[in-house]
Amino acid sequence: MGPRANPSLTQTNWDLIRDAASDSASSKASLDAITRRSWPAIYAFIRASGRSHEEATDLTQGFLCDVFLSRNLLEKANAERGRFRTLLLGAVRNYLADMHRRKTAGTRMPKGGIAAIDAMSEHGLEPSEHGAHSPERAFNARFVATLIRAAAERLQRDLLAAGDEASWEIFRLRVLQAATEGVAVGYDEIAPRFGLEKGTCAARLLVAKRRFATILMDELRATVDDPNDVAEEVHELLALLGERRSVNR
Amino acid sequence: MSKAHDDNMSGSSNHASGSSPQLGDTLRWAFELDTSPALAGATWLTREIVPDARDPFEAIVAATTTVEALEQLKSAYKMLRTTGATAAERSLAARLYAATIAAALVRHGQLITSQRGEALARAFSELEADTTMTDAIRAIAAQALTAARRA
Repeated sequence: MGPRANPSLTQTNWDLIRDAASDSASSKASLDAITRRSWPAIYAFIRASGRSHEEATDLTQGFLCDVFLSRNLLEKANAERGRFRTLLLGAVRNYLADMHRRKTAGTRMPKGGIAAIDAMSEHGLEPSEHGAHSPERAFNARFVATLIRAAAERLQRDLLAAGDEASWEIFRLRVLQAATEGVAVGYDEIAPRFGLEKGTCAARLLVAKRRFATILMDELRATVDDPNDVAEEVHELLALLGERRSVNR
Repeated sequence: MSKAHDDNMSGSSNHASGSSPQLGDTLRWAFELDTSPALAGATWLTREIVPDARDPFEAIVAATTTVEALEQLKSAYKMLRTTGATAAERSLAARLYAATIAAALVRHGQLITSQRGEALARAFSELEADTTMTDAIRAIAAQALTAARRA
């Protein structure tokens, strides 16, 4: 897939990296898109490695400037291909071992900055990221969380565009809330809100979940070089995240 | 990531920031649902209403399944008849829909549909003849057919 002025949701991370490192008219947009997809996991790794919130923020920005703006990652991507997650994890690990780059980050910032980094600063970062997990586990968890969030946002856009706010709300209350807070709202509470029968609510949720699953697998597919590697990547991520058997669907 | 932060990121709702196991759960079911056969959808739907059920057939024939639960299952399968991902799933949903009506009639003596007469008898008859259904479902259909003809 070739580079575009406005990187699409289906454009793979490899396409974006290649375009970001080029001199094309869309390179800045591609850089912003790949940065947006990557920084949460990078920050999570750095924060979980023992850095303070401020240090982790600086290092994340430095990493994005040095590694994403230089051709370093592009060269590695071309040479190794495979999974974007693995490439990114290796790059951030190496970056931390090469701390002196932090000092040069400011001088490498392009004219006009990078929108995604500005957004990161505006939104702030979660100070409690540190301590709960190993850096690798934190990285992988945030990598998956970013994919899930992107998929949920696409699902929300799709359903609202189709005028199906009820299905989005049912999905949000039953699935996203369970994933984020561990508690799903019951059908007894949801069904009257939309004037639906409980069984109909469940059937709508199934349709929404299927759509979400398809979108999420699309997002994951964009991070691997060979689409056939998706199943392997899912299984590896599940193992890395410490799969829980009692499924809260 | 905190909820407040996540709200900032998404600009609207709280999207996916749970613990590793919860994220893994979401990833796992999404993968399974994306690749699952027809029965997986109906089974998932059934468990939303009868959480301990092993599959739709078991939930429908169980004496412990209340008439209210059967009505909920009926409306769920009714929608799945039209929204199912494949023809096989829609066909299965149609059979399960008829099965919930049969079970409510046989187990609870209640008719949970506005269908009457020949249409109802034909649905039960087709359900009884369907060899892809379990023996228990077919037996319930046979009893329901008798009850419907008596009524």
